[in-house]
Amino acid sequence: MIELNQVIKAFEQEKAVNGISMHIHKGSIYGLLGSNGAGKTSLLKIIAGIYRQDSGTVRIKGAEIYENLELKGRTIFMADAPYFFPQSSITHMAQFYRSVYPQWSDERFNQLASVFKLDVKRKLHRMSKGMRRQAAVWLGLSCMPEVLLMDEPIDGLDPVMRQQIKNLLFQEAAERQVTIIISSHNLREIEDLCDHVAIMHKGQIIVQKDLDDLKADTHKIQVAFRHPNHADSLKEQVHILHEEKRGSVTLYIVKGHREDVTSQFRLHDPYLLDVLPLTLEEIFIYEMEGAGYDIQPIIL
Amino acid sequence: MFELDVRSRKAIYEQLVDKVKEMIVYGILKPDEQLPSVRSLSTQLTVNPNTIQKAYRELEREGYIYSLQGKGSFVSSSVEHPKEAMKDEIRDSLVKLIAEASFSGLTKAEMTLLFEEAMARIEKEVPHD
Repeated sequence: MIELNQVIKAFEQEKAVNGISMHIHKGSIYGLLGSNGAGKTSLLKIIAGIYRQDSGTVRIKGAEIYENLELKGRTIFMADAPYFFPQSSITHMAQFYRSVYPQWSDERFNQLASVFKLDVKRKLHRMSKGMRRQAAVWLGLSCMPEVLLMDEPIDGLDPVMRQQIKNLLFQEAAERQVTIIISSHNLREIEDLCDHVAIMHKGQIIVQKDLDDLKADTHKIQVAFRHPNHADSLKEQVHILHEEKRGSVTLYIVKGHREDVTSQFRLHDPYLLDVLPLTLEEIFIYEMEGAGYDIQPIIL
Repeated sequence: MFELDVRSRKAIYEQLVDKVKEMIVYGILKPDEQLPSVRSLSTQLTVNPNTIQKAYRELEREGYIYSLQGKGSFVSSSVEHPKEAMKDEIRDSLVKLIAEASFSGLTKAEMTLLFEEAMARIEKEVPHD
């Protein structure tokens, strides 16, 4: 559905997006994670056809999106800070969206009114941040998009609304096969929401994978060896991302198949062996550490 | 129908697979009974439909359920086979528990006594048919 091939975008000297290739299936909910300033928003804007890439190709359903009106009419980009015209209400904005997006559905708009209990006559600039976010989602979904790009969409929403919006997105994906890309820092949200994730750092993608595979592929292992030599011989056998000693117990973050890794450790018959799956947050931190972006023990 | 623990480290699709297996093995889901559709389950649990689809595919691959084009997913009638897999799992955890018990100082005699007691209780509770 969405194909990116070696996309580069630079702003003056700085390469915000530096050679990204990705492939996103129709109906998938794709999570874009990354350090601050990793280039997530730039990448989303390129996919939305707002920025033109310096080199590489961006194809949605096989066509370039930049300056492609037909395709842009089916694509919605929700910015991290929703923009509305000054002094406008939801009714005004709905009129504008109706005139711009050919797929706009009044039926859908009215249907969604029961979810978002907002006053359509009230001025948007007098609403709270969370309410404006709801308005943006409401208007965006009423355009019946095929591609939905959301920059930090859950920011500022209360737990009930978060759950509501998640449910709406799941329905969009299940019933209309909408392709959704979401950028976020909130890893817990991404974990429940997405089926695929990509981790970005300095304009590049470090990992991109099926979320369940990613979780099944990295393990946290606590082990107490009978002899310190055992640890050394193990290093050659398994792919270790991270190692931390806590007294006689060593903590490893290991990549690989669960059974293979466990049997390698078991060979040495350790006193203690615990294998745990990782949370997305832990995967993020250890992958970032591998990319040279780690948590420093800072005391100021 | 299903309860998922979103805070668990276990992947959601794995939890779903295990839950359905459990319900089939315990007979809560009967052979040829229809499973909820991907769409309705997604809304009910607030879980990504692709994740549910994946869990159903996995269950089908392992022979717990079958799907009919355009009709949905149903529980397989051959539940004997899954029970075997369950037995292996239980055997493993029993062995582990026995090892732990022996490390913590329980004697063989004490464990045998416990075993007999537990069996006696089960036989009293479950009427034979």
